[in-house]
Amino acid sequence: MSSCENPNTDKDVLMTRRQKFDGKTKLCVKCKENTGNIVIRYAVYCKSCFFPLVQGRFRKSLEPTINAPNGSRRKGLKASGSLVVGISGGTSSVAMLDLVAKTYFASLEDNKNEANGKLKGGKEHPRLVDKGVWKGKPTVCYVEVCGAFPGEKDRTEEVRHLVESYSYANFDFVPLRLEDSFDQKWWDTVGGGDLSTAARSLGFDMTDEELRLTTSSSDISPLTAMQTYLSSLPTPTAFHSAVQIFIRLLLLHTAASQRASHLLLGTSLTALSVNLISGIAQGAGFSVAEEAQEVWHPASDDALPIRIVRPMRDIGMKECAVWDWWCNLRVLAHSRPSQSGGKNAISALTKDFIFGLESDYPATVSTIARTCAKLTPKEGSDGICIFCRRPAQSGVQEWKARISIRSYQEASLAVSGNTRPPHLTEEEITNLTKTSLDSGSGPPVPSLTSQLCYACHTLLTSRSSRGTAASLPSGQSLNNVPLPFWIRSSIETRSFHKHAKHDFDADITHGVKLSRSEMKDQIAEFLLPEE
Amino acid sequence: MAPRSCALCQKAKAMVKRPKTGQQICRDCFFYVFETEVHNTITQSKLFNPGDRVAIGASGGKDSTVLAYVMKTLNERYQYGLELFLLSIDEGITGYRDDSLETVKRNQQQYDMPLKILSYDELYGWTMDAIVSQVGRKNNCTFCGVFRRQALDRGAAMLNVDHIVTGHNADDIAETVLMNIMRGDIARLGRCTSICTQGEDTIRRSKPFKYAYEKEIVMYAYFKKLDYFSTECIYSPDAYRGHARVFLKDLEAARPSAIVDIIHSGEAFEIKEEIKATQKLQQTCQRCGYMSSNELCKACTLLEGLERGMANSGITDRGRKKMDSEGPAPDNLRTIPFFKVGSGSAAITVETPS
Amino acid sequence: MNTISIKIEFGGGLELLFENKRSYRVDIPSVVPTDNTTDAEANLADKETKDVDVDYLIHHMKDHMLKERVELFMEKNTVRPGILVLINDTDWELEGEGEYQLKNGDEVVFISTLHGG
Repeated sequence: MSSCENPNTDKDVLMTRRQKFDGKTKLCVKCKENTGNIVIRYAVYCKSCFFPLVQGRFRKSLEPTINAPNGSRRKGLKASGSLVVGISGGTSSVAMLDLVAKTYFASLEDNKNEANGKLKGGKEHPRLVDKGVWKGKPTVCYVEVCGAFPGEKDRTEEVRHLVESYSYANFDFVPLRLEDSFDQKWWDTVGGGDLSTAARSLGFDMTDEELRLTTSSSDISPLTAMQTYLSSLPTPTAFHSAVQIFIRLLLLHTAASQRASHLLLGTSLTALSVNLISGIAQGAGFSVAEEAQEVWHPASDDALPIRIVRPMRDIGMKECAVWDWWCNLRVLAHSRPSQSGGKNAISALTKDFIFGLESDYPATVSTIARTCAKLTPKEGSDGICIFCRRPAQSGVQEWKARISIRSYQEASLAVSGNTRPPHLTEEEITNLTKTSLDSGSGPPVPSLTSQLCYACHTLLTSRSSRGTAASLPSGQSLNNVPLPFWIRSSIETRSFHKHAKHDFDADITHGVKLSRSEMKDQIAEFLLPEE
Repeated sequence: MAPRSCALCQKAKAMVKRPKTGQQICRDCFFYVFETEVHNTITQSKLFNPGDRVAIGASGGKDSTVLAYVMKTLNERYQYGLELFLLSIDEGITGYRDDSLETVKRNQQQYDMPLKILSYDELYGWTMDAIVSQVGRKNNCTFCGVFRRQALDRGAAMLNVDHIVTGHNADDIAETVLMNIMRGDIARLGRCTSICTQGEDTIRRSKPFKYAYEKEIVMYAYFKKLDYFSTECIYSPDAYRGHARVFLKDLEAARPSAIVDIIHSGEAFEIKEEIKATQKLQQTCQRCGYMSSNELCKACTLLEGLERGMANSGITDRGRKKMDSEGPAPDNLRTIPFFKVGSGSAAITVETPS
Repeated sequence: MNTISIKIEFGGGLELLFENKRSYRVDIPSVVPTDNTTDAEANLADKETKDVDVDYLIHHMKDHMLKERVELFMEKNTVRPGILVLINDTDWELEGEGEYQLKNGDEVVFISTLHGG
C-alpha cells in the first residue's frame, strides 16, 4: 500500500525543510551585541555566549540528579557516592570530560584557558565551595574496543594522556578492555563473586533456536572468548549492538565496585536520537526511557544504586564539536566506519539517516528525543534481561510465536484437525505438532531464551542474508559460545533462588499439563547439571 | 546444492525463502502460515463476533485484493460467521481509478461479495481531477487522504456494517511508528500500533495485515495468481514516499525482522499519563457530525476552502486565518451530508454479484 | 592566472582522511568554472566562470587532497552531513554556506562530528 493511502499519515504535517538561518540578522540572540559565530537550531550565538549556553545545558541535565532522590531538600549538591565518567575519546565525551573538569574540579589558578575563564564553576560557584560534590576521587573509565575490530589501534595511552591533562581534577584513570567481559580477573576486581565450576564454564549453542546452555571450554583467553561470542552473532547489527552492551555493562560493574552513585556517559542529543531510533528498530521499545536516563541496581548488596546520567543529552553533536575545537581539545577518532559490515548494521544506518535529516531539518533530533521522553513502557515486566540488564517485557516468546510461525509445534492450537495445512495428512500434522516432552527424549536442556528481553533475544536469533564479516577464531564452535561473566553469574544466582523457594525438580518430573511456554520458562532457569 | 526440504512440513521441497523469518519453506506451507498468522492476529485481538457485517476497504491494489481473498478463506476455514462486503472509494482520477475499479469489480465476481462504490463526487461534489485543477499537485494528497478516510466511514454506514478492515500491512505500520516519532506526533504514535481503532462515533476499523510483510503479500498474490492493479497514483509520484520509507527498506535489508521489531517496540510503550491529559479531546464536527479535534472536521474545512476558492485554508494556518477574515461561510455553501453511524438502511443500492 | 591562498584545518578526526595532517595551506585560482571542475585550472576560455567560493574549495580538496573514501567527505556536491564548516571561526551557515566567496588569507575549518560518543 503506498503511503498516500495511509490515513494515519497526514501529508501536511510532514516535516518541511526550513532554512537554518533566515539571513535576517547575524547578531547573537543572547547578548544582542556581538556578531554571531554559530547557528544552533535556528538561533545565532556569538562565541562568548556559546560557552555558558552549553555549560548551562550540561548542568541542567546533570544537577537535578545529583542529590539522592529521597534526601532532604538541601541547598548544596551532595551525591551519595563517588563519580565515574565513562568516555570513548569521541567528540561528545571529550567535551563532557572538559565540562566535568571545568565545572566541578577546576581550581582558581587554572583560568588561563579562554573558555574556562568564562565558565562559572569550581570555586567560583557558591554552591560548590564546601568540599566536593561527589565522595572520594573521581574516576574516568575508558573501554578499549580494538579487540573486536582487527587492525584497529589501541588508544588506551592516548586516552590516559587526555585524562592526565586535567591534572588539577586529579582523576583516577581506569582503563578497561572489551574482552574483560570474559575475564575472570576483571570479574574478581569488580567483586563479582565466586562462581561454581559449572557456571564458570557456561556457554550456549548459537545454532539452536532455543539457545540451549552448554559447557564451554574455560581454558581459552578472554580475547578469544569475546571474539568467539561476537563473530558467532548472526548479523552486523547484532555485532555492533553487542559491543555497545558490553561497554555499558563493563562501565556499570566498574562503577559499582567504585561505590559510585553516578556514571556519566557522553551521549549527545544527536547520539541519543540515533540510539532511540536504532533501539526501536531493534525491538527495544520497552526500554526507551532507559536510553535517556536509568538507575541500575547492582547485584551486590553493599553497592549503591547507580544513576546513569547523560549530561550532554540536550547538546547536539555540532555544539560538542565546536566546543572541542574552540577549547583546543583533540578528539581521538578511529577510522572504523566501513569495517565489519558497518553499513549493514542498523545502528550505522540509523546514524547516517539521522545525520542526513539533521542537516536538512535541524529540529528533528530534538523532536525525536522530546517525543520519546513522553513515552513510558506498558505494564507487564518479566524482570531484568540477563544480557543487557534492562527491564524485560513479559510474554515476548508467545508474541513472537504468534506473529511469525516458525514451526507447526508452536502453532499447534491453530493448525490441528480440519484447519490443518491442506497438503498434510492428519498423521503428518500430529507428528509435527508433538512437543518434545511427548517424544520422550529425556528432560529438556535449559536455555537462555526465556531470560532475554525481546531485543536481546532478537539480537541472538534474527538472521539476515548479509552475515557478519567476522570469522570464528580457529578451534571455536558455534555450538559452544562462551558467555560474559555477568550472565554466567546470574544464571547461577537465579537457579539457586528457584531451588530455595520451591521444589523445582518436582515440577519437571511430574510434567503435568504445563503449556509449552510455561515449561520453557521453568526449565530455562534450571542450572546445567554438572557432568 | 541438493534441494532442501521445507523447514515447516519437512516433506515438500522448499520453494521460497520467507522474507519475514528467512526460513526456506514450500509454497503450500507459505500460504498456510501466512493465512494462519492473519488468523492469529484476528483471534488474539478478538476483532469480530459471529454474525458481524464487515466491509473490506478495496482499492484494487495488492493489499486489499489479498485481504479480500484471505478474509474469505479464513471466514470459511475457521467459521467466523462474517458477512463480507467490498467497499471501494472512487476518488475520480481519470485513467487511474477507472482501471483499479475494474479490478475491484472482478473481485466482486470472483469472491462472490457485494460491492459498494462511493465516489468523492457523490459525497463532496468534487472529483480529485477537479481538486487538482484547483489546488495543483502540491497538496492534493492532503485532500485525498482526509476525504478517503471519511468516505470509507460513510460508505460503511451506508452498508450498515459493524466493521471496516483495511489492507494496511506491517511495513505501513512500522513506517508510521518511525514517522510519528520523527515529527513528534504523540497522539498518533499512541494509537498507530493498535490493531483496531474506534472513536465514539465511528465504525470499528482494523488492520488484519498488521503483521504481514509487504513482500509476503506480493508473494502471496503472485503464487495465488490474484490479479490486482499496480500503478502509482498519477498525482502521487514515487518521490512522495519520503525519508521514512527509504530508511525502513534499508533497515529491512540489514535485518529482515526490523519491521516486526519496530511494531513490537511501538506496542511496548504508551504515552505517559500526564501527557495524555494535555491532549485535545475528540469532538464531533458541528457541520457534518464526523469526529473531529476542532469545531469543524478536516474534511469540512478543506471542502469549504475549495468551495470558496481558497483551497489553502485547510492546509496552512495562514490560509485558515485569511478565510476566517473574509467572514463566515455563506449559507448556501455545499456541505457534506450529516454523518450518523448505522444510518444506512437496506434501501441503499448495493451492487450484488450477478 | 590570479590565485589566492587559503588556510585549511581539520578537526574531530577528519584529518584521518587527509594523511592525518591537521593544517594545510592551498593556493587556488580566484576565478573558477561554475561547474566546479578543477582539472581545467589552466584553461577557462570556453567555460562559464565565477569568483572562487567554498563549493569550489570542497571540490578542489576532493580532487587534489583526498586520497580515498570520497564518500566520507562529500555527498551530493557538498560536504557530507555531520561535517561542520567554520569560515574565519564562524559557522558557514551564517556566511552563505558553499556560496561564500573566498578571500586571500581566509581560514576554513572542517570538523567531523561523526566520531560520536
